[in-house]
Amino acid sequence: MTDGYRQQPGKGSDVRVDGKRVAGKLRFNPPGSGGSRPEMKERDLDFIPELEGGNEAQPAGSHLHDKYRTGTTVGKRTPLVDANAKVTGQAWYGDDVRLPNEIIGRILRSPHHYAKVISIDTSKAEALPGVLAVSTGEDAPQKFGVLPVTKDEHAMAVEKVRHVGDLVACVAAVDEATAREAVSLIKVEYEILDAIHDPKKGLLDVDEPIHWRGKYHIGSTNVQKRVFQEFGDRSKLDQSSATHHGKWKFMGVNHGFTEPHAVVAHWDSNGRLQLYTPQQVPHYAHRALATVLDVPMHQVNVIRTYVGGGFGGKSDPFPHEMCAAILARKAGRPVRITFDREEVFWVNRGRHPSHIEVEMYADDDGRISGFEIDALIDGGGFASFGHVTSYYNGVLATAPYELGSFHYTGARVWTNKPASGAMRGHGAVNTRCAIEVGLDDMADQLQVDPIDLRLANLLPPHSKTITGFRITSNGMRQALNRVREGSGWDEKFRKMPLGKGIGMGCGFFISGSGLPIHWDPNNFPHATVHIQIDMDGGVTVHTGAADIGQGSNTAVAQVVAEVLALPIEMIHVRSHESDTSPVDLGSYSSRVTFMNANAAISAALEIREELLNSASNILEIPVEKLILNDRRIYSKRNPSEGVSYLEALHKSQEDKGALIASGAYRTPPMGGVHKGAAAGLAPAYSFSAYVAEVEVDVETGLIKCTDVWAAHDCGKALNPLAVEGQIIGSCHMGLGQVLSEQMVYGRTGHLQNPNLLDYKIPSVHEMPNVTPIIIESCDPEGPFGAKEAGEGPLLPILPAVVNAVYDAIGIRVNDLPLTPDKIWSAITKKMKLEGIDDPQNLPPPRLDFSELQEKLAARSSEHNDRDVRRQRAEDTEPYINGVLFGFDPNTPPEEQDGDWKISVKPTSEQLDNLRLAGSAWSKIEQRKMEDGK
Amino acid sequence: MLTPPFELHIPSTLDEACSMAAMLVESGEEFDWIAGGTDLLPNYKWHINTKPHVISLANVSGLDNISTNEIGCMARLHDLAEGGNCHPLVALAAGKVASSLIRRNATLGGNLCLDTRCFWFNQTEEWRSSIDWCHKCDCNTGSDCRVIPNQNELCVATYQGDIAPTLMVLGATAHLIGPNGIRKVAMDEFYQLDGMTRNILEKGEFLLKVTLPSGVEDWIGSYQKLRVRESWDFPEAGVAAAWKKGDRSTLRVATTALESIPRMHNEEVAKSDGNIALLSDEIFRSVKPVNNTSLPPRYRRNMVKVLVKRACEE
Repeated sequence: MTDGYRQQPGKGSDVRVDGKRVAGKLRFNPPGSGGSRPEMKERDLDFIPELEGGNEAQPAGSHLHDKYRTGTTVGKRTPLVDANAKVTGQAWYGDDVRLPNEIIGRILRSPHHYAKVISIDTSKAEALPGVLAVSTGEDAPQKFGVLPVTKDEHAMAVEKVRHVGDLVACVAAVDEATAREAVSLIKVEYEILDAIHDPKKGLLDVDEPIHWRGKYHIGSTNVQKRVFQEFGDRSKLDQSSATHHGKWKFMGVNHGFTEPHAVVAHWDSNGRLQLYTPQQVPHYAHRALATVLDVPMHQVNVIRTYVGGGFGGKSDPFPHEMCAAILARKAGRPVRITFDREEVFWVNRGRHPSHIEVEMYADDDGRISGFEIDALIDGGGFASFGHVTSYYNGVLATAPYELGSFHYTGARVWTNKPASGAMRGHGAVNTRCAIEVGLDDMADQLQVDPIDLRLANLLPPHSKTITGFRITSNGMRQALNRVREGSGWDEKFRKMPLGKGIGMGCGFFISGSGLPIHWDPNNFPHATVHIQIDMDGGVTVHTGAADIGQGSNTAVAQVVAEVLALPIEMIHVRSHESDTSPVDLGSYSSRVTFMNANAAISAALEIREELLNSASNILEIPVEKLILNDRRIYSKRNPSEGVSYLEALHKSQEDKGALIASGAYRTPPMGGVHKGAAAGLAPAYSFSAYVAEVEVDVETGLIKCTDVWAAHDCGKALNPLAVEGQIIGSCHMGLGQVLSEQMVYGRTGHLQNPNLLDYKIPSVHEMPNVTPIIIESCDPEGPFGAKEAGEGPLLPILPAVVNAVYDAIGIRVNDLPLTPDKIWSAITKKMKLEGIDDPQNLPPPRLDFSELQEKLAARSSEHNDRDVRRQRAEDTEPYINGVLFGFDPNTPPEEQDGDWKISVKPTSEQLDNLRLAGSAWSKIEQRKMEDGK
Repeated sequence: MLTPPFELHIPSTLDEACSMAAMLVESGEEFDWIAGGTDLLPNYKWHINTKPHVISLANVSGLDNISTNEIGCMARLHDLAEGGNCHPLVALAAGKVASSLIRRNATLGGNLCLDTRCFWFNQTEEWRSSIDWCHKCDCNTGSDCRVIPNQNELCVATYQGDIAPTLMVLGATAHLIGPNGIRKVAMDEFYQLDGMTRNILEKGEFLLKVTLPSGVEDWIGSYQKLRVRESWDFPEAGVAAAWKKGDRSTLRVATTALESIPRMHNEEVAKSDGNIALLSDEIFRSVKPVNNTSLPPRYRRNMVKVLVKRACEE
C-alpha cells in the first residue's frame, strides 16, 4: 500500500457514499518509516524559527528550545488528542464508570446552617432491605484539607455541621431509590447554633466560632486568615493629582462546569482502593484518602476519569470521595456516588463573595503613586484554598504597573455557607476588576486616554514587581497596542452615542505556582514525565498532569512529537492512574503547560539524544550534522543519507529493550524573604488586555456585550487553536460574573438558586463576538517559550465591561453582577440627582485631553523602545519597580530611601486606621493572649 | 435527581382519556395530565406535588392542529413559533419561551397551564425541607408562605407563561374538556387566583384547544418580555398589547409574570384614553409583583412602564 495503512484492515473505500470518512478508517502513513521512503514530508519551515533557518518570525528573540523545533506540531492549530473520544461519546466521565456489582451511595446533608450534632440514629436505615452500608462521621475522625496548613474538613460531620448541605452521614444501597429512602430514615438530633451569613460579622468575636484553631485562633472571631502587606513610600500620597476610591461588592460565583461530581470507589481483591473520580488534582485526593482511610498511600490508586470541566472546582480532595471509599469498604462492593446539581453548589469552592475597597493615587506625571487594597472575602464553612486566596486578592495586583507604593489588608472569614475556594483566575479576578476600573476613573480625572495611562506605567520585561515577583517575558504593551488597533479604540472611546460604550481592562496572572504545597521545592520537582518507547515505535508518555478539558494531554503529546519529529498520533499520553503516572501537583494555578511540557521536553531530549547517537553510529555522521524530520534522521547536507526512526530506535534498543527516559521540572529559586513572599510567586506571568463594546438599554438597564477584542500574552502558542479556545471560554465565564451569575443567599441565609435555571450562566445569545489576539513574548523558561493561557484571559473581561458601561451611560456600578435592576436603579438615582426626566437625555461621558496626555504618549513611546530591547535581551540591566520614580535598580529601594518601607504587620498606630478587612488585625491571637496580654 | 414512581396511562382517544380521568376522580386517586412534560417532569424530579397517576396525551391524535383561529393543546411551541400558521403575535410569544430545545417538546396546553413559580418552592425536596417547606407544597405540615410570612391563606407564586397574555389580548377562547363534556371560557377568565388554584380547570378536566375570533388576522400587536438571558429564562415581566390595524381605540393590554395569574388591563386602558404614558402608569400602579423570582419586585414593577410603552408602539 503506497499511501499508508488504514486503521481497519480489508478492502473497500474509506469514503462513504456521502463523501464523508468512514468511522475508524483514518489514514496514517506507515509508522516509523521514512528511511525506506525517501519521499517523507518536507520540513515545515514555516514552523521552524528564523534563527534556526526557518521562516517563523521571532520578534521577541530566540529561545533555548529553538534548536529542538522540528516544525512538527508546535505552533500549529492542533485538535485536542482526546477530541475524538469526546465527540463520539467514548470519553468516560465520573458517572460513566460502571463496575460489576456496584451499588449506589447517597449522602445525608444538613438542613441547618450551623448546628451541633447531638446524636445520629441510623438503625432504621440499616434495617431497610437493600441497604448494604451506613456510615457517619465516627468512621472517619481524621481531618483533611487541600492545604496542609488548614486541614479543617471531615468526611462527614464530626460534632458540628457548618452549612446547609454539609455532610452528615451516608448510605449505600442496591439502587438509588433505596439509598434515598434510607437517607430519609436516618434520624439526627441537632442543637442549633447562631449562624453567620454576613462576612462582616465574621470579623467579630463570637461564642462559637465555626472552627477553632487553638492557640493560633484570632481572638474568638471567625477570621481564618489575615494578611497585611505594605511596600513603598506612602508618605506622598496626599500630594496626588488624581485619586480613586472604590468600594466594591462581588457576589460569589460557582464554576458551573458541565459534569457534576461523581465518584466510584472499589476495594480490589488485594485490598487496594481503586478510586475513580474526575479530579483536577488527583495527587492531593490520593494523600487525603490515605490519611482519612488510614491506609498507606501505595494502597490507593486514584484513577482520574475524563473531567467534564473543572475551573478549580474539582481541585480539593472531597468528602464525598472519602464517603464512597468508606461505604465501599463497609459494603465490600464498589460504590458510586453521583451528585445532583444542587449538591455541586453545596460543595461549591467557587469564587469568594467579596467586599473590596481600593484607593488609588496618581501624581502629576501620571505615575501611579499608590494602590491601597482591602479585601474581605467570604470563605464559607471551610478553608479550602482560602489561605492562598487571601494573599492573591492583594499581591496579584502588583503588576503590570509600576507602583509608588502598595498597601494591602486582607481577611478571609468563615461563614455558614458552602465553602469558597479556587476558581479560574484564583483570587486575582475581583481585585483586578476594582483596580482596572479605578485606573479608568483616574484617567478620566487626569483627562488622558486610559490606554496611554497604562502604557506609560508598565513594568518592562525582565523586571521585579514592588513585592519582589520576578517578571520575565512581558507582552503587556503589545497586547494593549493590538486591542487598541483592532477595536478602533481611538475613534470610539468617549465618542459614541448614549447607550453605546467601549471599555478596556488588563490582566496579570501566574503561570504556575512557585512553591509546591506539599514538599520542599529544592528537593523534589513540581512535575515529572516518563517516556517509554518499545519496538513498535509508539511513544508512551506517562504524566500526572490532569487533563480537565484544557488540553494538557495534547500539550504534552505535542512537545514530545515536536522534539522527536514524530506525528502526534504516535504519542500516547497515559495520565489517568496514580499507579502509573509520576506524582504531579495537578491542574491548578495555570501550571500544567509550563511545568509538564518542560518536564516532557527534558525527557524527550534524553530519547532524542539516544536516537541521534544511534543514527550517528549507523551513518557515521556526527550528531551535530544530523536532523530529525518526519520519522527520519538524516544528514543536513544530504537528506538521502539517513535512517528511519525505527532503525535508529532499534539500534538504541540493542541489549536493553525499550527506551525509557524521565524528565522533571523545578522552578528556579526566586522571590523575597518577607512573610507571604511565596504567595503569587511564579516562574512566569501572563499578561492580557481586552477591549469590550457594550450596548446598554437605558430604560431597562439591560447590558449586551457585543464585541470583545481579547489579547493575551501566552509566551508562545504551542497550539493556537487551544489558546483561542481558552480566551473565548474565559470571556464567556468572566462575562457571566460581570453580567448575570451570582450565588444568591436569601433573607434566611439559604442559597436561593442552586440550579442552572436560576444561576444564570450566559447563553449563546449573550456571547459577544470575540476576536482572540495571541501575543507571543517568548518566555525564556517556558516550554518553547510558552506560558499559561487558561486563567489569565478571564481577568480583563470584567473591568472591560464595567468600563464600557461607564462609557455608554456615564455610570459606574461597583456591585457585580451588573444585573439590569442595579443599572436601572443607578440610572434612576442619577436622573433624580441631575434633574433629568427621560433616561434618553442622560449625558454620555466625553473626554478633552489635558496636557498630560502628550507627556504620557511620549513616555510610553520611550518605554516601548526600552521594552523591545529588554525583551530581545539586548538590554540586560536589572530593573526593579521604582526606577520610574527615580530609584537605582541595583540597590533595594528600602536602602535608598528611608520612607520606602516593607512591612507585613501593622504598627500599633496603624491599627486604628485600618479598613474593613484590615480590622481583623485589631484582634489578638490566642497564644499571644496567654503571653499576658 | 430521581423521578418518583407513578403509573403512566396512555389513552389513544379523547373519550378514553376522559373516561380514564373520570375513573381516577371517582376512585379518589390524584393524577396529573402530561403533554410535553417540560414543566411537569422537572417538578416531579424535585418531588414537588407529585401524583401517583399521570395521564399522557401523547397518543391522542388530532390535538396538535395550528391555524389562525384554532390551536390544539398539543401544538408544539416550536411549530407555533416557526410554522407560520398561527397569529404572528402568538408566534412571537411562543418563540420567546425557554430554549429551542424545550420549545420542540413543550406544548401550548402545557404553557397555558404552567404551574406557578417561586424560589421558595421550585427547589429540591432536601432544600425545601431545610426551610420547613412552604404553603404551596407543605407536605402536610401546614407551613406558612415564605414570600409573605404570617399569612397562611394565599399562595403568591408567580405565573410565568409567555403565551397567555397574547391570547387574552387577541380575545381567544379556551375549550376545556372533562368527564362532563366540553365547556368554553374566555381566555382571561381561565385563570383564577391564587398561585395554587391557578385556573378554573376542575378535577378531570384539561385544556383541549384555544380558538381565536374570526377577523383576528386584522389585529396586530406586540409581546414584550423582560429577562436576563435571551434563552431559557422565564419572563420576569411580560406585556402583550394588540389592536385592530388602524384602530387604536381597540387597544387591549395584558400582563404576565407579575402576579399569580396573567391578566387583562381593560380598566386601565379605558382610563388612559389612548394616552400610552398614562396607561403605562396605570398598569404600573395596578400590578403587585412579589419577591419570588430572579429580579427584585420593585424593578419588575417599574419595568412594566417601559414594556407597556414598547408593546403599544406601532
